Amino acid sequence: MTNAREISVEYLARVEGEGSMRVKVVDDQIEDVEFSIFEPPRFFEAFLRGRPHTDAPDITARICGICPIAYQMSSVHAMEDAFGFTVGGSLRELRRLIYCGEWIESHVLHVYLLHAPDFLGYESGIHMAADHREVVERGLRMKKAGNDIVALLGGREIHPINVRVGGFYRTPTKKELQALVPELEWAKDAALETINWTAGFTFPEADLDFEFVSVCHPDEYPFNEGNIVSNKGIDVPVSQFNEFFTEEHVERSNALHSRVRGRGAYHVGPLARYAINFEKLTPLAQQSALDAGLEPVCNNPFKSIIVRSVETLYAIEEALRIIDEYEEPAEPYVSYTPKAGVGHGATEAPRGMLYHQYRLHEDGRIADAQITPPTAQNQLTIESDLRFVLEQHLDLPDPELTWVLEQSIRNYDPCISCATHFLDLTVERV
Amino acid sequence: MGDDAAGPAVIDRLAERVPASVALVESVGDATHLLETWRDAGLAIIVDAVVSGGAAGSIHRIDGMQGFPSAWRSASTHLVGLAEAIDLGDAVGVLPEVMVIYGIEIDRVEPGVGLSPTIDQAVDEVAAGIVELCRGYA
Repeated sequence: MTNAREISVEYLARVEGEGSMRVKVVDDQIEDVEFSIFEPPRFFEAFLRGRPHTDAPDITARICGICPIAYQMSSVHAMEDAFGFTVGGSLRELRRLIYCGEWIESHVLHVYLLHAPDFLGYESGIHMAADHREVVERGLRMKKAGNDIVALLGGREIHPINVRVGGFYRTPTKKELQALVPELEWAKDAALETINWTAGFTFPEADLDFEFVSVCHPDEYPFNEGNIVSNKGIDVPVSQFNEFFTEEHVERSNALHSRVRGRGAYHVGPLARYAINFEKLTPLAQQSALDAGLEPVCNNPFKSIIVRSVETLYAIEEALRIIDEYEEPAEPYVSYTPKAGVGHGATEAPRGMLYHQYRLHEDGRIADAQITPPTAQNQLTIESDLRFVLEQHLDLPDPELTWVLEQSIRNYDPCISCATHFLDLTVERV
Repeated sequence: MGDDAAGPAVIDRLAERVPASVALVESVGDATHLLETWRDAGLAIIVDAVVSGGAAGSIHRIDGMQGFPSAWRSASTHLVGLAEAIDLGDAVGVLPEVMVIYGIEIDRVEPGVGLSPTIDQAVDEVAAGIVELCRGYA
């Protein structure tokens, strides 16, 4: 007699078709694992065609409410690549600083309100706050320290409007930046507490063979610049992204699946950045990671919550360094002349590498756009992880099994993190 | 923006019509940062565009301390929405003494088209209501 066990999870947001998770087990054999997501960037690519290149930072920032800086940074670097110039000095530093703000707010939101509840047995961050008020308040205050950076440099906290091709519309004064320091100094201590807190969680066992992919710069932990590097031999300029990675349509899903050409799934995000760039973390961040029990390479995706906490500490330290060394630039942006061409940009969004490519007309209007977000790149890896988790935990009853499956999806802080807290679960037994 | 600019439009129309003690804050996306604006506040008034099946331009007004209509709960992809922010604010004890939420039913959301006439009128009505609320609370 065949014993079929099917677990399907559809988001409350299914009216928007945002995504789903479905696994099917027959006679203790995994028959199918499917994780699907909705990909709003696809619509934005079409929306950008024919528009001035100057619209790209503000329009693509709308793709994501929690990582608009990533979209702005990838777009402006791609435009500058197409026009043949780079931005240096204080303007380059300010770009790293605003990215620090985004990492802090995004990582802290995920660690405290979206992922920690999985480890502590709460349905949501709100339920967790009832028992852990001081901890959640610490997270909210840390997040605000990140928000304040983005608000100052971006003009406002969400969907910032001050970033432009060539730099910024307005740059801050030294005094304005110095005003951020006391709260960042507090946040640095809070980040150390966060690392200790997350390191104390209980983690499912996992030691997976990932192909980690990250931007890699010779001198600094990556935000905006560097080659695309993997732990399995890729080391290429950003302009060669499409030569080494491909997006394929899978019939059972309307989302594209990214692959390394000739190989398969790859992993972008904190674990990948950390593995490829560990030695470029600050000494304190490195030591804190080691003290938390991490090796310089972590192959357990459940421990991504610790790595996110380490990256939060790094971002705070880097923000303090930039503010300390800041000299006000003579001009808020570099002037340039548009021309026809193709430009590429890959920067490190909190949840992984974000690739943009634009083909531009002579007058600077956008002819074509390609936006490859991190969650789409991680989709195959997430499915692979789900299969692993299923194999490890098949003996669990459906509610517990579903819990650990959802937890494993949230290891990637995908663009469905919140939605996965609103799941309708259907368990079908035959 | 189209009608989805109803909230910011209300803020624009409140300029110089409310006392200096009233902070006008525009919030887009993640609502957790609202918690800081609520901390130690006496009265918080929230205005947002809603699509809940009502006629375009109709105005809802609810007491934010008495729960959030399920039809207004959004299926946010990875942000904390207003309903969740209120729940979180309650859990960590930072809610204001009084919270009033206005919802303006909207129609068209195409970028760059501005407010439709019915929404424009509703925005005026809500702004006038907020001026009265602030006067009464003071």
